[in-house]
Amino acid sequence: MPVTPLRLISKSQNGVGAFVLQCKRMEFNYCDWAGSSKGMNSFLKHHLPKFAKANPQIEITVSPRPHKHPIIRSEYINGREKVICVRNLEHNQILQKAELLRNSSGLKLRRVTKPVSSMNESVRGIFSPFHGTGYAI
Amino acid sequence: MKRIRNLTSVNSLLRPAAVPAINASPSLLLRSSASTVASAAEIPETPSPELQPQLLSTLPPSRNPLASAKLPALHARLNLHPNYPIQTLARALVDPSADKDLRFTNQNLTTLGNTLTGYYAAEYLMVTYPRLPTEVLYAAVSAYVGNKALASLGREWGIESAFEPTADVDAGLLQFSRLAPGVDPKAALHRDPNAGSTLEHAMANLVRSVFAGVYLHEGLSATKQFFRQHVLSRKLDVDKLFDFTQPTRELSRLCAREGFEPPVARLLAETGRHSRHPVFVVGVYSGSELIGEGHGGSLDEARIRAAVNALKGWYLYSPPEKDLPSKTEESRDAKFKPAYIDPGEVIV
Repeated sequence: MPVTPLRLISKSQNGVGAFVLQCKRMEFNYCDWAGSSKGMNSFLKHHLPKFAKANPQIEITVSPRPHKHPIIRSEYINGREKVICVRNLEHNQILQKAELLRNSSGLKLRRVTKPVSSMNESVRGIFSPFHGTGYAI
Repeated sequence: MKRIRNLTSVNSLLRPAAVPAINASPSLLLRSSASTVASAAEIPETPSPELQPQLLSTLPPSRNPLASAKLPALHARLNLHPNYPIQTLARALVDPSADKDLRFTNQNLTTLGNTLTGYYAAEYLMVTYPRLPTEVLYAAVSAYVGNKALASLGREWGIESAFEPTADVDAGLLQFSRLAPGVDPKAALHRDPNAGSTLEHAMANLVRSVFAGVYLHEGLSATKQFFRQHVLSRKLDVDKLFDFTQPTRELSRLCAREGFEPPVARLLAETGRHSRHPVFVVGVYSGSELIGEGHGGSLDEARIRAAVNALKGWYLYSPPEKDLPSKTEESRDAKFKPAYIDPGEVIV
């Protein structure tokens, strides 16, 4: 047959149909001895249950990491992970960091210079000098 | 058109896995509270032994979905209805290569999910692009619901796989046993899918099983919505699937068949003819009507592009009113306008 097909696969557009939260796992590490973990311990007692309930898509793990600063480690769907050390922060500041990680996509931080990034071609088209009025051969 | 069987008759696919806490028969409960002497006489009628699942005394963690944190997270990430139990999701994650027993694997769910996804993708493409050539239609369906596409979808759902399908694995991980290195995957899967599987194959089957679960637990309209949101929302440029070999010949056969005037290529614009970077814009006319336009660095290239664009303009026709045939599945008296049916491909 004159027409043969090319094998391509469709590209995902997260949010166009269903939205899948990119943060899939968060691990909270605390320490019972270190003073830097005071805020974290308070966060785990007072804020974490509500945070976990509000974000059922995230698998949350809490584990002690003795004699180390407290950290929040989050894993994303693109396979990358982000770690924030929350030493000496207050519990509300730690909540802010947790929300920051939750809202992140896992991509490396990059500077955005263009106002629009899209998979679709431009609606108005790219300029062509050959398609103007009265272009005579 | 065969109607998809309603929910009640498909329950046989979801015969429950042997979980004593959930599937406890009345006889077990009685035995625990009553005395051992009297219990034998009190056992109510149980179904015949072949139909009752064999109850295991201890459950491996991978068969205990309630102990996994990943499963409720996946359930919430996909926004599944509370009617969809965690247990079905856990079963969808077990490939036949991980377990011999059909009751614990996703084999039946995969079959159902494959039918559903294949049907919905095909009907959408056939109604949206009625003139698409058959091979291109197959490629487009494969681009939406083929193994590679569904495997990619599964990864985007955040599903991880276990290295080995052992008993202590988390129930939220995809469990399958891998093929030995150096084995040709296609041949091995064709020979015996239960011996081992590739990650792509297992992931695609998992996604199909999830679809099947949505159909079984949430119903037909929920399945369609799930399909639209997760599969049809993906971007596929159908025009990029074409690969023409003799477009000018095909176009002239098409015009002859349809009774159009024979196509003539005319130069619309040009610049730099004898320079290093010429640009030619050629239009293909049928009579006085422009049917396709193409540009190129040479006259031939521009003419061929124009023919290709003319053919794409024909094949990618999309009718303004699109009624999917499955519309009639939901309500018998839905107004259904039959899809446009094309005479067929151009015989060159």
